[in-house]
Amino acid sequence: MEFGELWDDGLMMRTIEIVLVIIIVLWAFVTASFFAVLPSPREVSPLNLRRLALTTLEVLNTNYSLSEIVFKPPDDPAWNDLRIALSACLPPNIVYSLTVYEVLTENETELYELRSSVSNAESLGIASDVASYLVASSNVTFFVTPEKIGEHGVGGTLYILNCSDARGWWITGYTAQSLAQDLYNLLSPYFTKTIMVQNTAQLGQILNGTSLEGETLQNAVVINTFGEAVPIPTSYADMYDSDSYAEYFYQLGKRVNQYNWTWVSIVGWPFYYVTNTVKLASSQNTWGIYGMKDVAKKGLTAFLRGLDYLQFPQYTSPSDSQTGNPGLVYLNSTALYYCNYYGIYPSPYQISTRALSNSILTTYHLPNSSVIYIFDKKDNWIPGAVYRHIADGDNNVTGSLFALGLTRTPDIRLTALGILCAFKPRLYRSEYTACNATRLVVLQLGMVGGG
Amino acid sequence: MTGSTIDHLISLTVFIGALLVFISLFNQTLQTAILYQRQRYLATKCNDLLDNIMLNPGIPSDWGESGNVPIGFGLQDPKFTHYALSPFSLMRLLSFAGNRAYYNGTWYSNVSWGVNGGYLFLSESECVSYDLASKLLGTKGTYGFRLTIMPTVNVTIVEDQSAADHLRLNITVLGQNSPLAGASIKYLLYWISAYIPTFVNFTTGMASTDALGFASLEFHNINVSQNKMAYVFIARVSAGGLYGVGYLARNAVTNAGTIVPYVENSNGTILLVHNPGDSNAALHFNASFYVLSSNFQTSNGGVLNITSGPWLVNYGEGKPSFVLQIQPPNNGGFLVLSYWKEDGGNECGMVVVPWGIGIIGLSIIFGGDSAGQGWVATDIRQVAVRGIAYQARLALWSLESYGMMG
Repeated sequence: MEFGELWDDGLMMRTIEIVLVIIIVLWAFVTASFFAVLPSPREVSPLNLRRLALTTLEVLNTNYSLSEIVFKPPDDPAWNDLRIALSACLPPNIVYSLTVYEVLTENETELYELRSSVSNAESLGIASDVASYLVASSNVTFFVTPEKIGEHGVGGTLYILNCSDARGWWITGYTAQSLAQDLYNLLSPYFTKTIMVQNTAQLGQILNGTSLEGETLQNAVVINTFGEAVPIPTSYADMYDSDSYAEYFYQLGKRVNQYNWTWVSIVGWPFYYVTNTVKLASSQNTWGIYGMKDVAKKGLTAFLRGLDYLQFPQYTSPSDSQTGNPGLVYLNSTALYYCNYYGIYPSPYQISTRALSNSILTTYHLPNSSVIYIFDKKDNWIPGAVYRHIADGDNNVTGSLFALGLTRTPDIRLTALGILCAFKPRLYRSEYTACNATRLVVLQLGMVGGG
Repeated sequence: MTGSTIDHLISLTVFIGALLVFISLFNQTLQTAILYQRQRYLATKCNDLLDNIMLNPGIPSDWGESGNVPIGFGLQDPKFTHYALSPFSLMRLLSFAGNRAYYNGTWYSNVSWGVNGGYLFLSESECVSYDLASKLLGTKGTYGFRLTIMPTVNVTIVEDQSAADHLRLNITVLGQNSPLAGASIKYLLYWISAYIPTFVNFTTGMASTDALGFASLEFHNINVSQNKMAYVFIARVSAGGLYGVGYLARNAVTNAGTIVPYVENSNGTILLVHNPGDSNAALHFNASFYVLSSNFQTSNGGVLNITSGPWLVNYGEGKPSFVLQIQPPNNGGFLVLSYWKEDGGNECGMVVVPWGIGIIGLSIIFGGDSAGQGWVATDIRQVAVRGIAYQARLALWSLESYGMMG
């Protein structure tokens, strides 16, 4: 049969259908290809114009030149220098538009008022992006002046135990000296006078009521940076060695009461060991650390009895103190507020394994109403708080204990935060929204030609 | 019946043929789309990696100064929080720019081999290699990169030979796109005379460029005839907050050769090696290290006391080198080395060795070679190195091959 006959007889229908299918698929392919346009290489591997703009502004402000220029009037020659600098530091295919706005504050709303604008092109080309940079006038100085604790009353002395003849415990990873230095840096701006107690002899001197540098002894804060161990002066070790030196802690409590000190224990079980590398050179704390002796749980009770010595005129082998293990604990809402106020941001979640018992509040005249909680109480345990002693029939505070019953290693920011929460020194800040002090610089970069 | 069979045969053949053609066509489109995705991802990776390097000082953060081997790679200056790079970390990158230098069993990274009288060789054992950086960045085996840190402002200083009796320096200041017109220039000039070579003269001054970014400085009291004097000239330019720096040193080759400084380690040990000339004569030298402040000043307190020479090196007499010890400064600085041949012509020369990239405006190229790679993504950041404007360019390519059909 001839092909024409087949065609005429309608026997080529399948071939015709296939041809139609091919036409339809081809049309679909062409249509899809038309719409599925692949991006240009510029879009595949784009230059990050936003970052380039930001880093350009940062580089121009490296020596605060940008901060000076944007506050000058638009006809100042410095603007021409800025134009030259922008042209010089951007790649040839990048055009720019730099706009400066003044930041105004009206009715607690920020308004941006156009001040000046420079550009090197009429349009920003085929692609553009923008970055903004806030600059402050070089004529404005921002600073914060802290109120000094004690400048309007009695006290204001901060003693930081930095004794060279003592050893620390539960300050794993640190030395007492390094902690003392950090605490000095954190807290000295807030105190009238900060003194590093360099050895146990100096500690004995202040315990005996003699100042070291003419400072005010009364109402001082004493930070023990040695963790669960407390330095003991040799003279005190000679006199008060009864009951494994528990008697020393009793005397210490009495001194805290007498001088209205705030004694700070930065970590663990307070008053658990005494330490003096000379006097106790041959003793060890049962963990192999020489120059230290364990007083154990009697230490805390002895101290509290000393603090409340009108009620407990003798320490008499105390053994009724204990600590608890409440585990995960949270910063108190007041402490969180002061984190922001003072700019100290320790983790709000901590692990407490040596929290003090709630029962000491009533036993030793530490009224709940005067306790400054740093961590929320958990069950009957107090993970961290400043306890203020107020004797029966008295309205005055006579000695305080700030105990952070957290597990090691200590975070001394919590110590600083607790002390600041207890004394609440004010911060006098300069005016951040000073008139004509802040300008917003917006740099828009565009790409012309090339990729 | 026969007609139906023929119809089947033709239609089936055409259909299979068309199917193969369409599979091929769509395959091309799909491959292109996949390739686009990969390249897009590469560009994003390049952007992230560049920020990661620029905004992270590494671990330990002072690895550039301390000489420690980093366990985390980053180039940010630990004293800053923005795009500011440490001149010392940059100095410790193994340079890709030029041929390695070799002396006495040690290979040295070559950042500058006497270009304009500036030398910066650092022992490779002190350098962070591309291999180590790739491991620390987590790109080893998956991506290759090349990082180029170069000054934004190009300061070219040329000695004008037409001024035969005195020193005239022509300075051209160019940005990426245009000359730096009206830029202020602050310069430091150290020079010696071959007749009193032990005394290093110093002068400083200011100038500015014209509309073409050009300036010419005349020093009428400095006679430049033959090799009877030498100098080190360092200039900092600025306009509108943009800072650049350039240098020129007259490192003349005397009859007794020259001295090539090699930095041995990050502790400040510098080996001064005699590169002998035609004669076997000794070369005497003096060296002064200057600490440079952020406002481009060297104060008396900044000059380290290593100038109690002169000393000498003599390759032919068993004194091929001299070990110099400086105290590396926190802010960076530069060593000015002057050398002279006392007999037979009183020739002299001077070279400068920066302690830190950015001190005299050197560039650094670090990383692998992108030659032969299919697609290379690039990105750029403006950065500051000790206040001097630099541009950091990162080129990134994939090391994982993806086969293309068709």
